[in-house]
Amino acid sequence: MSSFFVLFKKELRGQLRTYRLLIVVAVFFVFGLGTPLMLKYLHALVPAEDVAISIPEFTTADAVQSYISSLGQLGLIAAILVAMGSVATERESGTAAMTLSKPVGCGSFILAKLAALAVTFGVAIAVGAVGCYLYTVVLFGNPGGFDFFIANLLGALYLLFCLAVTVMYSGFVKSPIAAGGLSLVTLAAIAGTAGLPGMKDYSPGALLSWAEDVASAGGPNSWWVLVVSVALIIITTLIGWQVFKRKEL
Amino acid sequence: MPAIRCQGLTKHYGSIVALDNLDLTIEEKVIFGFLGPNGAGKTTALKIFTGLSRPTSGKAWVAGEEIVSHSRSLQSKIGYLPEEPAFYNWMTGREYLTFVGQLFSLSSGDIVKRCNELLELVDLSRDALRRVSGYSRGMRQRLGIAQALMNKPSVLFLDEPCSALDPLGRLEVLETLIRLKEQATTIFMSSHILADVERVCDVVGIIDRGRLVVESGVEELRQRFAHSVFEIEFEEPAAPFARLLEPLPWVEKVKAGEEGNVFKLRVGARDVATAKVELPRMIAESGLTLRQYQMVLPTLEEVFIELVGNRKD
Repeated sequence: MSSFFVLFKKELRGQLRTYRLLIVVAVFFVFGLGTPLMLKYLHALVPAEDVAISIPEFTTADAVQSYISSLGQLGLIAAILVAMGSVATERESGTAAMTLSKPVGCGSFILAKLAALAVTFGVAIAVGAVGCYLYTVVLFGNPGGFDFFIANLLGALYLLFCLAVTVMYSGFVKSPIAAGGLSLVTLAAIAGTAGLPGMKDYSPGALLSWAEDVASAGGPNSWWVLVVSVALIIITTLIGWQVFKRKEL
Repeated sequence: MPAIRCQGLTKHYGSIVALDNLDLTIEEKVIFGFLGPNGAGKTTALKIFTGLSRPTSGKAWVAGEEIVSHSRSLQSKIGYLPEEPAFYNWMTGREYLTFVGQLFSLSSGDIVKRCNELLELVDLSRDALRRVSGYSRGMRQRLGIAQALMNKPSVLFLDEPCSALDPLGRLEVLETLIRLKEQATTIFMSSHILADVERVCDVVGIIDRGRLVVESGVEELRQRFAHSVFEIEFEEPAAPFARLLEPLPWVEKVKAGEEGNVFKLRVGARDVATAKVELPRMIAESGLTLRQYQMVLPTLEEVFIELVGNRKD
């Protein structure tokens, strides 16, 4: 068995045993179910006499858009929190040195972490999406299974990008907090570029607005966003690997 | 072919020189003890030899391989135990060894067999299914030794292997090291416990402030310093006599001890010729009953202290 698969299996088992997988899935499941539910019963939750403005009747598109938006915000925070210590903690504790004194490449070490995190978040997004889809169908109407699926894939790609950036920083510094802070600043800056003229068609931050368009009304395909995002995931992973390889353990 | 060799190995951490032009040649099938005070550069050297750190300059070879950072070919031939072995706490002891076996690409059958052997060797069979988070420091150290042996390494690097062990555990580890040497393993160990080094090592290297002070066989080293120690036994308390000796210019140091009714003095002499004349005379004048008087080989600890213990920064 190649060292990548050994490490990948170990990472997945670690996520199960330390309940990280369960917690991430539970978070996504709760907001997957909760988003359509909250929109549907917002009127009941906020008595009309307490608000000056009227709350509109929400539609299927609103429910899906709100879910994708939550995926981007809560998912980003969850991705940073879960991934920020992935390499940094191992360097600090000494487990990385123990593992890398064996015939294991630094590339396998980094890639196994990213792959296991991707699986964790993939499962979580799938569970959250199923919950959201079922409640949206029941409470608002069918959002269209295929479009909803594609929107979730785009959301998952965005979170994979967030994970790749966070894992990269986690290999740069020994402190998980520092890795998390650097990731948050970088990802916030990248999300900000999605609003800039000329950058909107290329920034990974635009993946979420594309996902919202796909899931609700449908919109133009932004293939360059897809290409740039995949390229940046590969580039950040390669940078993470190369920098980590040069670190003292 | 030497098992370990390095030429001009130097490592800087900013302005700090951790290793300064280290030259070493360690033959196969020996146990090499690497001694030095804290911060002398022992762990730095170990990390370079295991491919976990890069030298600033110089070259090193282990098991015939030139050391390149994270070389898989090198790492498949060596075993490494860091000073404080760290494990995934959610794993059991057996799971960790299985994980290590898989990293060495051993077959499932070999992994099970090797795990059983190693768990037996380090006396962890009964605790193999407990999570590592529940292990004591000594148990973690023993698991660390087991994982370092998983691939039957030709060169084994141990950083303070006995530091967390009780006397019985230490004895077992030292006996294991001797057995491994008999099976053609070269062992490079750093240790603060000089008695352990003296017990098992064939060759020692003493390092201080990144520089190798001496590299020699243990016996040869003791012989080299043999001239300077006198061991004297009395039937009466010898502390007053020790106090009499301490200020004398030809005396290096005096260490008093007792064993039952026997009172011992170890006298390190700065001027051996004077000591040979003066000591018997002073003993005769002291009125103490002499049981034994001899010149002895110094312990490794005494040699170590003589070489690096009195350094002035």
